[in-house]
Order: sequence, then C-alpha cells, then structure tokens
Amino acid sequence: MNVVTRKQLVDFVCEASRLMEEKKEYLIELDAAMGDGDLGLTMSAGFGKASEFVLSSEETDLGKLLMQAGMVFARTVPSTMGTLIASAFLKAGKGALGKTELTVDGLACFAQDFVCGIMERGKAQRGNRTIVDSLAPAADALQKAAKEGLSVAECCKRAMEGAAKGVEDTKSMLPAFGRAVYFGEKALGRPDQGALVGYYLYQALSSSAQE
Amino acid sequence: MQRLLNRPQDYVDEMLDGIYLAHPTQVKFINEDKRCLVSSKTKEGKVGIITGGGSGHLPLFLGYVGEGLLDGCCIGGVFQSPSSMQILDVTKEVNRGAGVLYLYGNYGGDIMNFDMAKDMAEMESIEVRQVVAGDDVASSPKGSENKRRGVAGIFYAFKIAGAAAESMLPLAEVERLAQKASDHVRSMGVALTPCTIPELGKANFSISDGEMDLGMGIHGEPGIKVDKLKTADEIVDEILSHILPDLPYSKGDEVSVLVNGLGATPKEELYIVFRRVANVLAEKGISLYNSYVGEFATSMDMAGMSISLLKLDSELKNYLSMPCSTPFFLQNQI
Repeated sequence: MNVVTRKQLVDFVCEASRLMEEKKEYLIELDAAMGDGDLGLTMSAGFGKASEFVLSSEETDLGKLLMQAGMVFARTVPSTMGTLIASAFLKAGKGALGKTELTVDGLACFAQDFVCGIMERGKAQRGNRTIVDSLAPAADALQKAAKEGLSVAECCKRAMEGAAKGVEDTKSMLPAFGRAVYFGEKALGRPDQGALVGYYLYQALSSSAQE
Repeated sequence: MQRLLNRPQDYVDEMLDGIYLAHPTQVKFINEDKRCLVSSKTKEGKVGIITGGGSGHLPLFLGYVGEGLLDGCCIGGVFQSPSSMQILDVTKEVNRGAGVLYLYGNYGGDIMNFDMAKDMAEMESIEVRQVVAGDDVASSPKGSENKRRGVAGIFYAFKIAGAAAESMLPLAEVERLAQKASDHVRSMGVALTPCTIPELGKANFSISDGEMDLGMGIHGEPGIKVDKLKTADEIVDEILSHILPDLPYSKGDEVSVLVNGLGATPKEELYIVFRRVANVLAEKGISLYNSYVGEFATSMDMAGMSISLLKLDSELKNYLSMPCSTPFFLQNQI
C-alpha cells in the first residue's frame, strides 16, 4: 500500500528522537557559537519525550496523536524552538484529524502544514536563516514528488534531499531572528542549526518510510 | 550597582517565595510551579483574565492579580516570556465556565507563547480571546500603532477589563472593553540610567552621565533620541508634545493620568513631574478625572519615568472608578 501507516509515523518520531540524541553534541556546538547553546539538549529531550508518548499511546486518529505529541513537546521544551516545533505538530495534526493513515497527498499536506505552523507562530519567512529554510524546500519537494505520482518512500527521499539543499543554502544567509542576529556576518559559511534540525526530521521521516 | 540578592539564578524564584509568604490569603500558585500565579478569589461564572510576561517589572505583571482586577499571571525569567504550557495551565485553572481573556503587552516572545496557549486551550474547549496592549508612542509612529510596545499604560486596560469581568460581563464584552481601554491610552517615558539583569550582573546598554534617553522602552529598547538631561518641566513638555497630538487629546476631553516610576526614581520626582502634567493639561483645557502616581511598570533599577493618559468617556469612567484589591494595588470606589 502506498500510504504512511500509524506505525511508520510512530517510527518517524522515534527515529527523530534517536537522531537528535546522536547529533546532540554537534547541535550544541553550532548553537553555542550563535545563540544559547541549548538546542541540542532541548531537541533530544523534546523528541525523547515525544517518542515515549507515541510509543505508549493507543490513539488511532493520526491527527490527535500528532497534536498530543506536540503538547508533550511544548511541555518538555518551554523555549522558543520548543514552542515552534510543538506548533508544527499541532498544525500538522489538525490537518490530519480523523485519518488513520496518510496517502501521498496527505503526507504532502502534512509537510506543508508542519512548516506553516512554524512560520505562523514564529513569523519567520524563507531566507531568514531559520528552520523554515530546510522545512519549506522539503515540503515543496515532497509536494512536487506527490504530483508526479511517486511512491511514499521516494517522496520522502526527495523531501530529505530538498531539506539538505535548504541547509546548504543557509550558509550564505544572514540571521534575521533571535540572538543570532547579533552575530551578523559571522554566521556566514556555517549551516543554520535550526535548519539542520529540520533536515534531521526529514532524514528520520525518510528512513521510517523506506520500510 | 549594589543589590540585595543571594544567587543571581535564584532571583526570580526567591522574589516569588517572598510574595507568597507575604500575601498568603490573596494569591497562590498551581502545579507546584511558583511562576503560575493565580488569585484565591476568582468568582464562579466570571470571565477569567490572565496576563504574563518577563520578571523585572514589578508590580507589573503579577501585582495586578486580585479582586476586581486579574485572575492569573504567568511569570518568566527577568525580561523573558513565560512558556505556553504555563499559560495553558493557568488558563485551565482560572476558567470558571465563562471563558478567558489574555491581556498582555506587545512583545514577540509573549505573543508567540500566548498564541500557542490559546490554540491548546481551544483544543480543550476553553474559549479564549486576546487583547495585546501597545501604548508607547515612541516605539512606532502614528499609523502603525499595532507595532507599539506595551508599557505602563497597560494598567488601564487591566483596570477596565478587571472591573468589567468583576461585573460579570460576558467574554466578548470584557474583550471589547479591554481593547477600548487599550485604544484610548498613550504613553511615553524617559530613561536616565540603564537597568541591570541580575544574571548578567551589568547593564547591556549605557546612558552617559548627564544624558537621557527619551522614549526608551522598559527593557532598554532605544528611544527616539539621546539628549542632554533637561529640567523636569522641559522633559514633561517634550513627552506631552508626543502624547497629546497622537490620540489626539483635545480641549474639552477628560483624562486619567498615570505617572510611573521606572524603579530608581524617587516619588518626590514623580510628583514634580505630575505637577507639570496637571498644569499643562489645565492650560490646554483638558480636564483631569483622577491620577495615579507611583510605580506601575518598572524596569529593575532604571531611573526615569513614563507618563500615560487615558481618554475617558462615561463607560470607561464607570469601570475605572470601581474598587479593586491586590497585594500591590488597592483602590476604593471613586
């Protein structure tokens, strides 16, 4: 079946948790050079709790499951980035309410809602050197692949490639949000740590969709 | 700057410990989180009003929680927003079946977290409305009022909305009155010294000796100009020259005036300021209904003051005149 199942969605959150844990030190290092230095800790803690939640939950409505995971994330990570990720889960969950699996089109909507949730909450646009700069190209790539009628696995792979390209592009972007603004041109040449988090999410999605 | 503190990182929580110990019958906290403060007196069936924002501004924000005013407050670190989950938890606590109004100042972090809390509260079937106050005329020009920062003038929105809720008006009415009060207030201030954040231990901006920053915000946001320090009367005249034409306040209008100390300015000086404000208003034929002189929204140890004017009509006057009682603010029926 060419759909994303509940199990795959749970796997996605768990894989995201594993990746954030694996990349924790690298994120801390990148973030410490530009901001608070707590991004690695908050992302591994937030996805850690979110994965515990989805593993223990018996909710079959994927929308509700995602929204509840967002609430768990918000409670675990009270920082700006935590609230933004939680907003993404809430918005994507709202769009998936009543569904027990996601079609390719449903997945494309999920990706668009996910980045919209962050843009609406944080008021960031593309090109501001934030997580939006990996999530938005990923969502675009996914939508394009869905229109071409590709499989879920291939769509997710394209989305991940879109995110990777997005991260690469942040190296030449000037920061416009948060404490990073004070670093101005010193940020050039490095990838944005928020965008990198977005890429890890699509890496996790792609890996769970290949099964 | 010499200060009274223990460990800088305990500054906010030890301040809160003191408040709960000093006022045990009026306020309490929920979920074992001292930063989620609620009134002990919220009536059944009443609209709940919540505010919140960073610490460092007492009596703003938590000082306005109490009878006839607000029902809950979420407290962040010094100059930091509280979290959306704290706001959600306080929302659930103060909801008495009539819905909840969020009333807070126009700052990005606070907006993000209150917006998020509203989404989550609505998922739990609690009706939430929001009014974001922005009264500082120095922070953005006329025509882009929605970009203005919230400063001491938010007191008037608290007072009017609090009295409306205490009168058992429905949520839509409390929201309308909070918005109306907010729309009728203009403020502007002057800073004479910077403020220090305890965990940083020093000011992260400076004002030279003998100078003032006209229009500076309550977190040290730059104002409209740095100038040589002038006399109290000259400073008041300059501030009023920005406030009065903005609404505008004209001959025949009736106003309430609030002169607010920023933390390190003696009340003596606030009254010297008020004297000039009252004289100028009299000269212009604007009548003074009542006045508030003291500390309403501070900025740690910043010296300076702000002036706020509320243009009144009979409806606003009615709610402004009602009594209220909190650990930080007491008013008898006017």
